[in-house]
Amino acid sequence: MTIVLGIESTAHTFGVGVATDEGKILANIQKIYRPAKGGIHPREAAQHHAAKAAEALEEAFKTAGIKPSDIDAVAFSQGPGMGPCLRTGATVARTIATVLGKPLIGVNHGIAHIEIGKLVTGCGDPVVLYVAGGNTLITALINKRYRILGETLDIAAGNCLDSFGITAGIGPMPAPEIKAGEGDTIYELPYRVKGMDVSFSGILTAAEKLLQQGKPIPNVCLSLTETVYSMLTEVTERALAMLDRSSLLLVGGLARSRRLYNMLETMCRDRGARVYVVPDEYAGDNGAMIAWTGLLMLRCGATLPVEQSHVKPRMRIDEVEACWSS
Amino acid sequence: MLEQLDFLENRVIRVGAEAVIKEISWKGLRLVAKHRVPKRYRTAEIDERVRRSRTLHEAKILWHLSENGQPVPLVLFIDLANSIIYMQFLEGVELRSHQSPLRYAERLGEIVASMHSMDVVHGDLTLANILAGEDTGLWLVDFGLSAFNADLEEKAVDIHLLERSAASAFPDKSREFMHLFLRGYSRVVGREKTSEILEKVKEIRSRGRYVVRG
Ligand SMILES: Nc1ncnc2c1ncn2[C@@H]1O[C@H](COP(=O)(O)OP(=O)(O)O)[C@@H](O)[C@H]1O
Ligand SMILES: [Mg+2]
Repeated sequence: MTIVLGIESTAHTFGVGVATDEGKILANIQKIYRPAKGGIHPREAAQHHAAKAAEALEEAFKTAGIKPSDIDAVAFSQGPGMGPCLRTGATVARTIATVLGKPLIGVNHGIAHIEIGKLVTGCGDPVVLYVAGGNTLITALINKRYRILGETLDIAAGNCLDSFGITAGIGPMPAPEIKAGEGDTIYELPYRVKGMDVSFSGILTAAEKLLQQGKPIPNVCLSLTETVYSMLTEVTERALAMLDRSSLLLVGGLARSRRLYNMLETMCRDRGARVYVVPDEYAGDNGAMIAWTGLLMLRCGATLPVEQSHVKPRMRIDEVEACWSS
Repeated sequence: MLEQLDFLENRVIRVGAEAVIKEISWKGLRLVAKHRVPKRYRTAEIDERVRRSRTLHEAKILWHLSENGQPVPLVLFIDLANSIIYMQFLEGVELRSHQSPLRYAERLGEIVASMHSMDVVHGDLTLANILAGEDTGLWLVDFGLSAFNADLEEKAVDIHLLERSAASAFPDKSREFMHLFLRGYSRVVGREKTSEILEKVKEIRSRGRYVVRG
């Protein structure tokens, strides 16, 4: 049996996961940095991760019921993400790999979100909508590469909703979506779709302006979530139509949103397609997805010499050849 | 009001992600109705607003281009309540399924160049949105994603999308197609502007996106 240890540390979460070649996740430990106030500070998050690393590793080994020497490779998220956070995870991974004398694997964080989604939903060859705090993109595997069909031209969908929640004093997601449930009026917000690309910064500014004008928070939340999710659903439908595919996979932190799922579900039903969604435990950033993707990469020998294992804060998913795909 | 116009519906030409295109006739004229259909997934308020503003935008661009002599369908009516544009039916074949696309490439270059000179971009310049008639007659359709006041990057995206689309429709002829296209393009805007835009196209290509359009 092949076992891979995966380390995630691109943003808020320091995660350690253990995956086997049978597609079993033996452990998935998460230590989440929650800033007392406001958004994330990369350096503080990195310090949090460094402080929690040993504890998280220990818990992972214990939960998985394995010894460090049982591991066949160490995978870490190489990018994209916040530099200081990424470097903390990479340092931990290099150390373990070197001490154990096992290969190191640099995993693309976005691809890991997708691959864990494919593993647990068994969804075949889908169009993927990957929506999270720091990323928003539509992609599909074409000729062994995740091609970017559409993406945000500025901020990520999750970032837009989180930032608004924080400004409004109700906190990040899921608070804005919960508050939206009490709303009954939809205000006009800029709906920016360009082909299969979307833009959210104008919406955020406009929504914050509505707040300043004293509009009720639930109504602004409702307007915001409905607009953002409609845009995402529209570009996803374009991608399904263009590639003529009939399955859709929803991954990333925003996959937890029931309303987004509902919209995608309705859209898919109307065009005879099916939507698969990653379960909540694997929706947010986690180590299991890194471990599992590391395992796929190990199968085709995509390991990384330590001296080439620098982190890539702006790494794109189409940089990686998906050598494990058939 | 439009109901009183006595349209006869003939056939559905295409059902796209956003619109249904029908051929209809009115007083013996062949027209095309482009209907942006409601989407159940969107709240009604948002859905109606989006469909209406895109319909209006497309009609405005078509008017503007027609007025300036560009080969686009003439708009006859617009039904904003239902988001339908009624336009001239163009007797043509989509360039992606045409027997001899090379015959049209140079003329296409001239058309796109003169549109770009007006700072208008198409926004979805694929071979499905270019109709070829007999001889060298050529029209552009589908301006839902087009823009006024376009910058260099948006113009370069037009050319990039066209190149991609040609490469997937007829891989063995696409180089020559683009060569002829650029000859026509630079005849209108000049060498300097053409090489400037080609630099931008290169940059977009190297970003590795806009990859697989039809
Ligand atoms: N005025 C027209 N005359 C003839 N055919 C047309 C006309 N407008 C569109 N079509 C045909 O319908 C297809 C789809 O129309 P289009 O406006 O491109 O809508 P969509 O947004 O669905 O792509 C075009 O590719 C073309 O073949
Ligand atoms: Mg079209």
